Formats: sequence, structure tokens, C-alpha cells
Amino acid sequence: MKQFGTIFRFEMKYYLKNKVFVGVTLFLVAAIALVMFFPRIRSAFAREETPGAPQDRPVMLVGGEEAALPLFSSAFPDYDVRGAEADPAALREKIASGEAKCAFLLTGPTSYTYYVDNLSLYDQNGAVADGLLKTLYQTNAMLGRGMTPEEAAAVMSVRIEGTLENLGADQARNFWYTYIMIFALYMVILLYGQMVATNVANEKSNRAMELLITSASPTGMMFGKVLASCLAGLLQLGAVFGSAILFYSLNREYWGDNPVIASIFGMPPALFGYLLLFFVLGFLMYAFLYGAVGSTASKLEDINTAVMPITLLFVAGFVVVMMSLASGSVDNTLMKVCSYLPVTSSMAMFTRIAMGAVPWYGILASVLILIVSVVGVGILAAKIYRVGVLLYGNTPKIGSILRMLRKS
Amino acid sequence: MVLELRNIEKSFGEKRVLSGVSFSAEGGRAFGLLGRNGAGKTTSIRILMGVFPADGGEVLIDGAPVDREKIRFGYLPEERGLYPKKEILDQLVYFAELKGMDRPSAVRAVDRWLERLGMSEYRTKRLDTLSKGNQQKIQLITALAHDPDIIVLDEPFSGLDPVNAMLLKDVVREEIARGKIVLFSSHQMSYVEEFCDSIAILGEGKILLSGDLREIKRARARNKLVVSAGQPERIRAALGAACSEGERGELIVTLAAPGERQEMMRRLTEICELDAIRVYEPSLNDIFVEYTSDARGEEEA
Repeated sequence: MKQFGTIFRFEMKYYLKNKVFVGVTLFLVAAIALVMFFPRIRSAFAREETPGAPQDRPVMLVGGEEAALPLFSSAFPDYDVRGAEADPAALREKIASGEAKCAFLLTGPTSYTYYVDNLSLYDQNGAVADGLLKTLYQTNAMLGRGMTPEEAAAVMSVRIEGTLENLGADQARNFWYTYIMIFALYMVILLYGQMVATNVANEKSNRAMELLITSASPTGMMFGKVLASCLAGLLQLGAVFGSAILFYSLNREYWGDNPVIASIFGMPPALFGYLLLFFVLGFLMYAFLYGAVGSTASKLEDINTAVMPITLLFVAGFVVVMMSLASGSVDNTLMKVCSYLPVTSSMAMFTRIAMGAVPWYGILASVLILIVSVVGVGILAAKIYRVGVLLYGNTPKIGSILRMLRKS
Repeated sequence: MVLELRNIEKSFGEKRVLSGVSFSAEGGRAFGLLGRNGAGKTTSIRILMGVFPADGGEVLIDGAPVDREKIRFGYLPEERGLYPKKEILDQLVYFAELKGMDRPSAVRAVDRWLERLGMSEYRTKRLDTLSKGNQQKIQLITALAHDPDIIVLDEPFSGLDPVNAMLLKDVVREEIARGKIVLFSSHQMSYVEEFCDSIAILGEGKILLSGDLREIKRARARNKLVVSAGQPERIRAALGAACSEGERGELIVTLAAPGERQEMMRRLTEICELDAIRVYEPSLNDIFVEYTSDARGEEEA
């Protein structure tokens, strides 16, 4: 235990004194600050520019039906809507010359042609025009059958009252922070896992290993290293998220009710607790695996190939979770399986808790499986480390490691 | 305190590296483990240090299996290595703490050793800024700072210049005087001869010879005489094939049997006037070459 403390302190110091670690943390905090202050900065510039700013809305031409012009004007407030003659060639000419951004040529009460220079992925103008003409047609039909304009307007603008009672998670609200947290989990585990593997392989390649294993127990070494990297990871995440929260609270009024930001910072505390739990367990799981594999590589150059299977496993889990998250069906069979497998449950179960419906005993079972696996993998990793560090030369085959494990 | 390795067996895969290796070393004396490259010295030491387990046999302290929690070992591995990118003080204190010292005493002990080896100025430097010899001295501190009961030095003199070798010799002598068990492995015979009271010679994973060095030397057939004379050519002419030239140009006379010694001395004084005459003591080097080349001879035969 005393040795564990010594190793933990020594490894922790390595992170805190590491220029890359400190540099990356500072960079991330600066990036967060920039993002969080962005609306404030933008509004500061916007206020200066507003007086006398030219009306530079893009021009939209509407040809064919003079009466529809006011309707188009109010339906497209972002455009400078102007009337035009019903000549396709002239409209094309004006768009091509840049005089207008787009044009509608109304060819009948229920048909039109939409001209645009470049159709954007997000162009909604056609859909707006569809709705506009539909309303116009329906109103005209009612007026034609003897309704008063007021009656027709009342029919067209009838209001439906519905109330929502959500018994599970609100996917729309939870999506963004789940997405960001899963991504953070993914980045941190990959990064720190590699760091643990490199750290172990480094000791082996600079031959400090022989002195270390005659001085300290392999379990103490493994747990000291991995827990120190876990704390370093948490500190880094804490710095990033802490600064995000701080900078957000400084700029709250500038963000207004941005749904993404509101989702991220409106995360329920219980979910944050789960995040922390799954983060630590998932991190430990992979850090032990990376450490064990690192000990079997005899040169630093071999590290990348040696850790490949673990990285692939982890990336596969990440892809499953991300796909399910994007499709909205986070409780599909694959996700259910993944949320109990210890190698994927940290991401999958967290996603299901945030976005799906999981009974409490499901969560408990998943966490218990994960905890038992982490301890088991930790002990196994210490054993592999004990054997692996002495295998110099070629990267050993799995068979020979197993043989040596049995013997030791 | 007596350290004993008894019937140690070790194989790596199909290759048998040690078979029935036994030797013992006691406190206040230095023990030299000798052998040619690949004889099994480092493997024996690694088993002694618990780097890996033996397939058979025991490591005993005063007759009981070694308790690595109680007995403090100091180890200078053949594969030297520390953290090149870390501060010297940091890592030395770290290793001393791992060996069970508390932090303040570890810092004190490390500082004392840095001072003793003339390395205090490098205290806060990174290890890789030091010369190879100085890095060796730092490595030596990891073996000594925690005041171990048993000091195991695998090829301690390799890479040291004569001045540093002298410093190391002084340090080792001090530790021996303090009653420590010091175990050396080396193939530099002169150093071993200078220090070690007892030796074991390993060859092909077996002990070829072990025991008290002086007794070993005395037990050799004392069948050679070293002669210095004003006219050695007269002796050569008289004795013919029995004469040979020693390493320093002196005349070596080999006797047909050790019993003829007195007779031969009388005869030599009759041949010509002598400056000196003494019985030839075999050097450790002679013994080593004799035993290890024998082992190879058997292997080849």
C-alpha cells in the first residue's frame, strides 16, 4: 500500500510536470473560453456595425401573380422580395448575373418553378412556397364557396392544443450532452490508454524495468500507474468542463436560449454522477488493458501494433454507440448487449441511461459486471506486466505469455 | 548472515541455463561469481533477486527461505537503466522509497551518496545530461541508498574509468567492512582477485569451482618456480623444455612433480647466480582460463 502511494505520487508528478499534458490542458481551456465568449464578442461587434448598415438581404424575384407578392414578402423576411415579369429566360438571366439570389415563377394556382443559383442542402424555400400556395388555394376555395374572409381565416388558423407527458428520457434535450460526453470519454480513454502503454514500454526499453520489478510489486506498479493516469485524465476533464461552466455562467445572457448550449448545461446532476462513474470504470478497464499490452512490446515502435486489437475493440463499441445515438433507437438489441459487456458498457450504458429506458436493476447489473471486470482485468494486467516486462526481443506471442502466466 | 543458493535449476524453453547451481556468500566478505559470457551469471543473479523464479532449488538466508520483505537487497543490474528524462534526485528518492524508506530519510540518504560520489552538483539535472560513467554512479546509488543487507553488483566495473573504478572499489570496501554481503559478477579477473574472499566459477550453467579464493590458490599444484637471474640463458640451456617465459619476462620453471621443488631449487643455484626464486602462485586469471576452457573442451569433445 505504501509502495502504491509512492508509485502513484511519482507517476502523478510525471503528468503534472509533463509540458505536453499541461500545454494541451491550457490549450483546451483557451479553446473553451473562445467558444463560450464568442456570442459576447460577436454582439459587441454587431452593436457597432448596426447603425447605417446597408440592407444587404438577398433579392428574391416573384413573377406571374402580382397578388401573391405581399404573401411572399411576409413569408420570406430574410429576402428582399421584388416583383418580376413572368419570363423564365429573364429570371435565369438575372440570377446568373447575380442581380437576384433566387426566383419563383408562379405558373398556376397550384404550380410554380423555383430558380436558384446554388441549391443549398438546407434550402427550405420550396417547402415554404408549397405551404404558401396551399394556404392561398384553400382560402380562395373557401371564399369561393361563400365563407366570409374572417371565417376562412379562422378555419385556416385553427389551433390544436396538445400536452406532452414524457415518461422516459427526453432525447432531444439529452442528445447534445450525451454526444459530447461519449465523445469526451472516447478521446480521453484512447489518449490516456496510449499514454499508459507508452509509459510502460518506455520503462522497458530504457531498462528501468529490472530495477523496478525488484523493488516494487507488479500489482502496485500497475495500479499506481493506471490510477495516476486516471486522476490526471479526470483533472484534465475537470479543467475543461469546469472552465466551460465558469465561462458559460459569465456569458449566460449572450447565449439566450440556444438549444445545444441549454442541453449541455442543463444536464441533470444524477446523470452527471453516472457519467463520472462510467468514466472512471471505463477508463480503468482500458488503461489496464493498454498497460498490460504495453508491457509486452519490447520497443516503443511496437506499441502501435501491439495496442491495435484493443483500440479496434474500443472503436467498434464507440461506433455502435454513436450510430444508435444518431438513429435515436438507443435501446436496440445490440446496444442492450453492449451495455452489459464490460468493454463497451461504459459508453453504451451511459447512453441508454441518458437517452433510453433502462430499469434500475439493469444499471446496477451493468455497473457490478464492470466493477468486477475492472478488478479482474487489473490483477490480470499486473500478472501480464510481471511476465511481459522480462520478455525482451521480439514481441511475444499470446501463447508464450499464457504459458509464462501459468508458470508464475 | 549467510546467503545460500542451493541446487538452482532454470530453463528457458528447451534451453537449460542453470543446472544444480549452489554457492554461498557470507556477511563481511565479498563473493565473486565468475564465468564466461553466457555461463549463467546474470540468470543466477536474477533468480537471487527474484526477477524470475527458479524451476527448482532454493535461495536461503541463514538456512531459511529468503523473505524479501525483511531482507533488503541492493541491485546493480547488468542491464543498466533508469529514467533518462527525469531529475536525478527525483528518481533516486523514488527508488529508495520503493525499497521501504520514508521520504525524508530517502532524501537524506540520496544526498549523502551524491556527496560521497562527487555528484551533488547534478542533483536536479536530468539523467540523460550526464556522461555514461556518471550515469553509472547514479545507478550505483540506487543499489546502495537504502542501506541494503545484501548488495548484488552485476558487472559493476564495466564502463568506468580508472578513477571511478577506484572510487567504486573504495565504496565496496566500506560496505564489506560494515558487514554487508557483497556479491559480484564479473569477467574482469583483476577486480575480483583484488576484492573477493570467495568465488564460484560458472560454466555452461554448472558450478565448475567454488570456495575460498586463497585456499583454491593454495590447493593448486605448486609445480612451478619463478626465477630471476643475471644469466637466464644458462638456465634455459640446462633445463630445456622445462623453462618458459612468464608474462613479465621472468623465467618460469615447470617441475615434473611438486615434490621435486627443493631439489630443483638447489640445482638452479648451482647453474648460475640467482637474484630471486619463489613458488609460482597461480593468478585467478590462470585458474579461470584453466577451468572455463576445460569446460569448453569437454563440450567440444
